[in-house]
Amino acid sequence: MRSLLSIFKKIKFKKADISKASHPDSVSFKERYGCFQQLLADNKSILETMADMEEKLSGDYMLDMHYVDTKCNILVEKVQSIIENLNTLSNDKYPGLYDAFEKINSVIENTLIKNIEIPVTDFTIPFEDVTKDMVRSVGGKNANLGEINNRLNLPVPKGFCISAHAFKRFMDYNELVDKINVSAVDTNSMEDLTRVSKAAQNLVLNASVPPDLEKSISDAALELERKAGHKTGGFYTSVRSSAIHEDAQFTFAGQYKTALNIAPKDVVSAYVEIIASLFTSRAIFYCKSKGFHVEDMVMAVGVVEMIDAKASGVVYSRDPMDEDSRGIIINGVWGLGKYAVDGIVKPHSYVISRDISAPILEKKQPVQPFMLICGLEGGAIDVRVPDYIKRMPCISDEQAITLAEYAMVLEKHYGKPQDIEWALDLNDNLLILQSRPLRIIAKKQSKPVPRYLPGHKILINKGQIACKGVGAGKVHFVTNDEELNSFPEGAVLVAKHTSPRFVTAMNKASAIIADVGSPIGHMASIAREYSVPTILNAGIAMKTLKAGQEITVDAINVNIYEGRIEQLLKAEKKDDTFKDTVVFEVLRGVLQSLVPLNLIYPEDEKFSPQYCETFHDITRFAHEKAMNEMFKLGEGAHQKKGGAVKLIVKLPLDIRVIDLGGGVENASDRIKVDNIACIPMKALLKGMMSIEWPGPPPVNVKGLLSVIASTAMQPNPEQSLSEPSFAVISKEYMNFSIRLGYHLQTLEAYAGDSINDNYIRFLFRGGGASHDRRARRTRLIKELLEKIDFRVDRTGDVLDGRVTKYDRTTIEKKLGVMAKLTAFTKQLDMTLFNDSVVDWYVKEFIKKHYVE
Amino acid sequence: MAKIKNLKGLMIPITDYPHMPYWATLEEAIVLLNFSYETAHDTILVFDESYKLIGVLDQKKILRNIHPGFSKLSPEKVSDDWEKLISTHKLDKLKKPIKDFITPLNIIVDVKEHALNVAHLMLKHNIDLIAVKESENVVGVVKLHDIFHEIAAFILKF
Repeated sequence: MRSLLSIFKKIKFKKADISKASHPDSVSFKERYGCFQQLLADNKSILETMADMEEKLSGDYMLDMHYVDTKCNILVEKVQSIIENLNTLSNDKYPGLYDAFEKINSVIENTLIKNIEIPVTDFTIPFEDVTKDMVRSVGGKNANLGEINNRLNLPVPKGFCISAHAFKRFMDYNELVDKINVSAVDTNSMEDLTRVSKAAQNLVLNASVPPDLEKSISDAALELERKAGHKTGGFYTSVRSSAIHEDAQFTFAGQYKTALNIAPKDVVSAYVEIIASLFTSRAIFYCKSKGFHVEDMVMAVGVVEMIDAKASGVVYSRDPMDEDSRGIIINGVWGLGKYAVDGIVKPHSYVISRDISAPILEKKQPVQPFMLICGLEGGAIDVRVPDYIKRMPCISDEQAITLAEYAMVLEKHYGKPQDIEWALDLNDNLLILQSRPLRIIAKKQSKPVPRYLPGHKILINKGQIACKGVGAGKVHFVTNDEELNSFPEGAVLVAKHTSPRFVTAMNKASAIIADVGSPIGHMASIAREYSVPTILNAGIAMKTLKAGQEITVDAINVNIYEGRIEQLLKAEKKDDTFKDTVVFEVLRGVLQSLVPLNLIYPEDEKFSPQYCETFHDITRFAHEKAMNEMFKLGEGAHQKKGGAVKLIVKLPLDIRVIDLGGGVENASDRIKVDNIACIPMKALLKGMMSIEWPGPPPVNVKGLLSVIASTAMQPNPEQSLSEPSFAVISKEYMNFSIRLGYHLQTLEAYAGDSINDNYIRFLFRGGGASHDRRARRTRLIKELLEKIDFRVDRTGDVLDGRVTKYDRTTIEKKLGVMAKLTAFTKQLDMTLFNDSVVDWYVKEFIKKHYVE
Repeated sequence: MAKIKNLKGLMIPITDYPHMPYWATLEEAIVLLNFSYETAHDTILVFDESYKLIGVLDQKKILRNIHPGFSKLSPEKVSDDWEKLISTHKLDKLKKPIKDFITPLNIIVDVKEHALNVAHLMLKHNIDLIAVKESENVVGVVKLHDIFHEIAAFILKF
C-alpha cells in the first residue's frame, strides 16, 4: 500500500512536468512512434495482468495480499505510463485522464486499505448479534456460528466474540505492533524465525490486558454464564481463535491455540494465550513472505459455553470418496470430539440418505475403549468408556437423521458441501460447534472435465481460452450489432471477431466462441467478468457450426462438442472454496475499479476521460486515441516531408518513405523495394506489384485522341494527380498515406508478434466523380473489406475500416488483398453508374483477387 | 410564334449518363451498358484520368469490334448460333481497353444553344450525340432522340 501511495505522488509530479515540457512541434515522428510502442506494450501488460487477476478470482487458486498488492502496483505504473505516452503522442490532448486516474486510484487505495482496517465495534459481541458478514469484526469461525444461530436457527452453544477491535485495543495498549519487529527476520533461517516468534509470544504473554477490555471480557463471560443457566459442576467455556484472514486460517488450520474447559474467571488469561498463538514462526514466515505487515495479523476470539459432551463428532454433508453418492456421513464418539477429529479412536459411523425414505443406509458402531471428557477442575481428561455404553451407539437413529437434516440445511445455505462439528450435551441436545467448507471432498468433487469425452462428436478442438468453464446452448451467430439485440437466452454466441459490444449479450450467453480474438482483449475481460465460458481463435466456428445447432463448449480443454452434454456441464462445477476469504473479497473489490469496461462505443459522446471509471476504461480509451493519433501521422508526413526518401518501385505511385527505425535496411539515398524491411509495407508492395494497374501512365492518350478541352467535372482542382504518397514505417508499423487519382486513402497497419497489437486501419475518402458514384465506390470497398473481416463504417464517400487481433501472417495476407483493392478501385467511381454495376465489380474482384 | 428551346431542358446531365475512363475494358463497357439498359442509354462517355471527355463508345462499335468481319458477312453466312459470334478467341478482345474503340467527340455546344442548331450539326456530321458545356465544363449531352421529340412536338401542333 505504501508503495502505491508513493507511485501516486510520483504521478502528480510527472503530470506537472509534462505540461511544462510538451510542445506541439517538439515531438518527432520517432518519439511519437516510441510512445506508441510503449503504449502498446503497456496495453498488453495491463490486459494480461487484469486477465491474470480475473483468473485468480475463479476460486481455483490460493491467494495472498502480496499478490494483490504486486498486481495493483504493476497496473498503477502501466496505466500511468499509458496516460503519459498518449499525452506526449497527442500533445497533451487528454489531461482529463490524469483526473480519471486519480479518482480511480483513490478508490483502489481505499479498497486495499480496507483490508487492514479494523471495524470499530464493542470489545465483545454476543453470538446473537453476529452474522457471516461480520468476518472482519469477529473472524470467520465466529461469524459462521453467528450465522448458523441467527439466520438458520440451528442450535449452537451460547457464546460471545472478543472482537478484532478488542485485539487492536490490546495491541495498541501494549504498543505491541512496534515492539514485535519482524522486519529484520531472515525467513530462510528457522532459528531466526523461532527466535522472533518466541520473543513476540513472550511480549504478548507478558502484556497487560487494558482494564476496559478486561472488564468487557469478564462481564461478557458472566453474562454468558447467566444465559447458560445453572450447571452441575460449574460453568466452563471453550476459548477459540477466530482469525480475520481466512487464507491465514486455511494455512494455519489447527495451529492456533484452543483452550477447553475454561472457567469464566480464567477467560481473560486464556484470551492472552490465544493471542500469543497468532505469532507462531510459521505465521511470521507467511506474513513476511506474502507481504503482510504485522498490523495485518489480526485475531478475534470466540468464547462459547463448554459443552460437556456426551458424544460428539463430525458430519460430512457429502461422501468424501464419492460426490455423487446420496449419503451424508456422520462420525461420532463418546465424549469430546477431539478423539474423533484426531483419529485416536475408531468412531461410530452412519451413512444417512439425502432422500427421505429409508434414511439410514449404513451404520457401524465399533467398541470404543477410551473417551475424552471435561475435567471437573477444568481441562479435558481421558477416561475409560463405561461398560454400559461401550457397545451402544453414541447417538440414536433419530439424532443421526436430525444431524443429516442440519447438514443439508448448512450445505444449502453455504452453497457447498460442509464439514460440520457437532456435540450432544448431557440433556440430549444436539449442537453445531462449527461448519466449514468440506475442502478435501470439494477437491475430489471437482472431477476434472475429461480431455476428450468418448462417444461424443467433437466439432472443433482448437482455440484459446478466454474464460474457463463449460457451457451449452444453441448456436447464435452474431455478425452485426443488431443481432445482439435479439440474442436468445442461453444461446452460444458465435462470431467471427470479438467485440466489447458483446457485453449486451453477456448475461444471456451460455458460452462464447469467436474465430478471431485475443484472450487478453477487452471482450475476453468482460467474458471473465460475467463468467461466460469463452473460446477465442477457434478459426473455423463460423464455417463449421450451424445456426440453432445445440453444442457444448468445453472452455477448459478447448473442445466444442455436438449436442448438450450434461456430464461435462456437471463436472465443471467449480471448487470455489477460497472465494469467501478476505483476500478474495479485496481482490473482487479492487477488480471492480480495474476491469469493468464502460467505454464500449468509440463513437459515443461518453467515450471520453471524464467517463472513465476503471483502469480498463482508461486503457481502452488511450489505446483507441493513440491509434487515432498515429493514424494522423501520415498527414503530418505530407506537411513536414523531412527525412522522406523516394522509393524506387515500378508502380504508378510516387512513394516517399520515412523510416522510424527498422523499416528500411541497407539503403543509402535511394530506397529500393528490397531495402524495405517493414513487414506491413513489404506485404503491401508485394500485392501492389502483383496486379496490373488500370489507367495512365504510361500511355499518353492526348497523342492518340483528341480531347475536349473542358473537363467534365472539377473534382478537386488544387489536388495534383502526381502528388507523392508518404509511408511512415518501422519494422512492424506502416502508415501509408496514398494519393491516388482524386481520392485519399490512408492505410495503417501493425504486424508484430503479439496478435493483440496487430491491426489494419483503412481510411478512404473522396474521388473525382459525382457524389453518388463516389458513394457507390465506398459501398463496393465496404463489401469487399467485410469479406476479409474488416469492421467498416461508411458515410457517403468516406469509409473507415479496421481489423484487429490477427496473427502476423494473416495481417500480411490481408494487406496483399488491400493492395489489389487499391489498384482495382482507382478512379473506379467514374464507372459506377448504378448499384448493379457495383455488384458486378464486387463479384469480379472476388473472382480475380480474393485470396481465401 | 413558339420559340425553339435551348439545350438546358433537353440535355442529359453528365452525372446521369454512363461514363467510364478510357482504360476500362470492353467487357466492363458491356457490363455498364447492360446494367444501364433500363435507362435506354446506348452509349458510354469516355474520359481521361483528369476527367476530360475524350470520346464516346456506342453499341455498334462494340459489336463491330467483338467480331470485326461480322458486318461484312453476306446475309446467308450469318450464323443462327451465338457460339459462333462469341468464340473464346473473340472474347480475348473483351480484355482490351475501350480507348481502342471509341469515337472522338469533337463537337461541343454551349448550353444556351438552341435545339434546331444542334439538329443541324447532327445532320451535318451524321452524329446522334453532342456534348454540352456550360462555362468551361462539360455538363451533359444531348441526343438526337430528344431533339427530334422536341421538333416533332412543334410540328404536330400544326
